[in-house]
Amino acid sequence: MENGTITYTQLLREDLGIFRVTPDGEVPDFKAGQFLTLGLPLDSKIVNRAYSITSSPQNKNFFEFVIRWVRRPLPGRLTSLLFNSKEGDKISWAKPAGNLTINDTLPNGEKDTRRIVCIGGGTGLAPFVSFAQHLHDTNDKREIVVLHGASYVDELSYKQLLTDLENESLDRGKDKWNFKYRAAISRPQEWTNRSWIGHKGRIEQYLRPTDSGKSALEELVGEKITKENTIFYVCGWQGTIDGTMDYLSNKNFVTEKNKREDGSFEVKFESYG
Amino acid sequence: MGMAEEIIAEPNFEKLCSKIIDSDNQIRFAAFVNDKSKILHSAQRDNLDSLLADHEVGMSIHYTLERWRKAQNFTFRLGKERLTFTEYDHVTLVTIPFKGKLLLVSTEPRISYDPIIEKVNSILTNWENP
Repeated sequence: MENGTITYTQLLREDLGIFRVTPDGEVPDFKAGQFLTLGLPLDSKIVNRAYSITSSPQNKNFFEFVIRWVRRPLPGRLTSLLFNSKEGDKISWAKPAGNLTINDTLPNGEKDTRRIVCIGGGTGLAPFVSFAQHLHDTNDKREIVVLHGASYVDELSYKQLLTDLENESLDRGKDKWNFKYRAAISRPQEWTNRSWIGHKGRIEQYLRPTDSGKSALEELVGEKITKENTIFYVCGWQGTIDGTMDYLSNKNFVTEKNKREDGSFEVKFESYG
Repeated sequence: MGMAEEIIAEPNFEKLCSKIIDSDNQIRFAAFVNDKSKILHSAQRDNLDSLLADHEVGMSIHYTLERWRKAQNFTFRLGKERLTFTEYDHVTLVTIPFKGKLLLVSTEPRISYDPIIEKVNSILTNWENP
């Protein structure tokens, strides 16, 4: 394990926070969408846990994470330590790993120019914040759509960053930077969400055909979603993965884990539950 | 499917609220809410002015559920929450978890609560035959 320092903490809610870890040495090369294993001491042992990195690989100053402090049925040990830590505390980390990374080439070796649609449930947004910043920083010309689902409006971490990226797309023109961001709130009837006028329901319902025959996603991008023009990345609870696949399986989309004999696929996912 | 199974599947919240209101004339209001802030049923004693405006009722339920959710974070150490009291100058709020829902009861302030809680708990214990 390498050494680093917690250099920034921001609580969005009592149980949701943004944390930055600055390595003692350099931030190593990694791919957008990967995770980092963090470690803190507890009872003379080091407790480890992996968290998806939200910062861009181009950011060589620190790793950033958005972390939910789940406490039921039992509070996670490392996450509890993190939420009790202070800026300046030392922390250990292991090299980045993980396969939920951006597909840049097709099985035939050609460049993958398909639209990228990212579906994140809760803190399952994390790898896609890294995707978005990386694709922006590398001047990627693909169309990118980030869809974020949450129960409450104050769980919409990175709303400002992602909205700014969409506004930049509108300002510069989609031939230069083509980015869209939409969020959905699954408990619109609750008092906290009383001002929400965006999409209501589960985020994967963006893929459900409406009365017009088109899905909300198709309305957003202005064309029919096919396995030839779009690749999906999904991260969240298993329910989010299953809900997404309920819609995509009907369109003959297949996941990387069940890819065709020729190596082709249209969905990559990572589940944390 | 037998009749007993149907009855066990879902308590009759309307009858339970009615029975709780009728159990003691110091009880002003009773309601069951689920963990998504939906009021499953509520009942208020006749001829009483509501102390809260409609939008304040939603806010009050939100605060109550927030507190309930956070209290459950200690279940692994302290066991299940059974009862809370919040006594204001003008009203006392009682919450009792019940079958994954939350029973909200308001009473007149500064009264003897034990008999009321005994009556409400008895009604809940016998919920299959409200």
